[in-house]
Amino acid sequence: MAAETPALILDNRAPASWRQRIKDARLPWIPITILLVIVFCAIFANLISPYDPRENDVRNKTQPPFASAGHVLGTDKLGKDVLSRLIHGSRTMLQVTAPSIIVAILAGTMVGLVSGYSGRWVDSALMRITDAVLGFPSILVALLIVTYLGTGVWNVMIAIAATQWARFARMIRGEVLSVRDRDFVVLAQIYGVSPGMIVWRHLFPNVINTLMVLTSVSIGQVILLEASLSFLGLGLKVGDPAWGIMIAEGRKLLTQAWWIALFPGLIITIVVMAFNFFGDWLRDYLDPRLRRAG
Amino acid sequence: MTGYIGRRLIEGIITLIALSFVVFGSVHLAGDPARFLLPISAEHDETVYEEQKARLGLDKPFIVQYWNFLRRAVILDFGNSFTERRPVQEILKERIPATVHLAVAGMILAVGIGVPLGIISAVKRDTLLDRICKAFAIFGMAVPQFWIAIMLIILFAGYWGWLPAYGRGDTQGWIPEWSQIPNMFRHLMLPASVLALAIIAAIMRLARSAMLEVLDTDYVKFAQVKGMGDRVVIWKHAARNALIPVITFGGISLAGLLNGSVVVEVVFAWPGVGLMLLDGVLSNNYPQVLGAIMVSGAAYILTALVVDILYGYADPRVRLN
Repeated sequence: MAAETPALILDNRAPASWRQRIKDARLPWIPITILLVIVFCAIFANLISPYDPRENDVRNKTQPPFASAGHVLGTDKLGKDVLSRLIHGSRTMLQVTAPSIIVAILAGTMVGLVSGYSGRWVDSALMRITDAVLGFPSILVALLIVTYLGTGVWNVMIAIAATQWARFARMIRGEVLSVRDRDFVVLAQIYGVSPGMIVWRHLFPNVINTLMVLTSVSIGQVILLEASLSFLGLGLKVGDPAWGIMIAEGRKLLTQAWWIALFPGLIITIVVMAFNFFGDWLRDYLDPRLRRAG
Repeated sequence: MTGYIGRRLIEGIITLIALSFVVFGSVHLAGDPARFLLPISAEHDETVYEEQKARLGLDKPFIVQYWNFLRRAVILDFGNSFTERRPVQEILKERIPATVHLAVAGMILAVGIGVPLGIISAVKRDTLLDRICKAFAIFGMAVPQFWIAIMLIILFAGYWGWLPAYGRGDTQGWIPEWSQIPNMFRHLMLPASVLALAIIAAIMRLARSAMLEVLDTDYVKFAQVKGMGDRVVIWKHAARNALIPVITFGGISLAGLLNGSVVVEVVFAWPGVGLMLLDGVLSNNYPQVLGAIMVSGAAYILTALVVDILYGYADPRVRLN
């Protein structure tokens, strides 16, 4: 037989099995498990929570945790079961944060792509606005929006999206600038491909990694912002099963019932940490260039 | 240098005007204060409504109203607060010192703890201390401020009863009486710690990575080879250079803190600008919202400006860009 070419040798090698690939990726199992549990709770909240999260039970009000048989994590001042409210809180959290972050990603990516590709005055104008939004603390921008639109879940979602898109726009623009003058883009331009097509087919695929990393890093911030706005009474109504609201309710009973505020805060911290760890891992995995020192 | 300062000044002023336009515009669109302020008895009386409108200057075109607003905003005149029935200016005069005290206390804590910890964990890389600092930073960035505030109140104010849970005590204005100072610090302790927590985490990480970079440079290695003591090399040669990015970040966070971290002021019932802003938002008190946001925004822009100019002095490379 004729000598095998290197290409054939490569072909002969068995492709890495998915088991091996997962092993090589060094997945962060603890954060992933935590996030899966949260998503599971959110989807099956109705099935797994022991009580109705909105049902009052005045005879069993402010029960401490681990004391009575029925309520593992205790009850609040109207006898609502804390565990059930926590489980339903994960659903509320996803319902509020997921749409707002999706809108923020779409808007930010669009602005970033357009700004980076068109350059000149479009770029300067869009980046001035982006910097203005980025420059101010999110909570201040959110408060301004709520002043304008009024309180309510929808307006909180709009406020979150309106404060978060700027980070995506900035980052995506930077990425676009770094690939805009590469040969394949210039060739496409010479070939007469329309600008829209260049952005979609040649630039966008190159920013997907950055987008994914930035998304997973931002989710934690978004959860914290949402919880703060709920806590301040700008979003959902008192009595709704949301973590921020539970902490606000617990604040009124500080000395009598510490558990009402303790558990939702712990959950928020754990979830945000899980997202942050996952984001760090994803950044290292997808783009070693972005790896921080140390 | 003068050109650089001039350029940054003009940029700052433009940002301020843009901010005032957006803020005034959105509040203008949000509702009709003239109708909101009508007494219930005159709710459908159009003549009273028109009078009210004329009195508040709301019958003029938008651009004239904006100009009037701008002219008065320069001297911090935002009209009367709807709920307190007195000038917003007066309320601001009481609130600004409270927010500045809290922000400065938080900043001192954050820098005083964050910088040394960051430098030490870079020098003693991968030791137990470094790991503890890292864990603390991860926790500090993930924990909701309002929750940790409540937990600290439960422990330090409720359970142990060591510190006051809320308010500013009997301190008023900028400078407290001598006798009030111990009490003032007791009241500052919890809110300032909560404000500092998230910044400590960020400053620590920043100082650590900057320090690691500097420790790797030739001049630090040369200083070590020359036989200089560790202490001199670390604190004199390395730390001074590593701290430049930390200073910028510190300045920007101070600007953020000056905005009266709304959440912390709310939990501790701290009578600052942030609490004033939230009260205004929740009660449709437009003059109060306008006053609080304009003052916060201006403080933010001015602090960022000063930081940028100082940075230009500290690091000549910045000016050239």
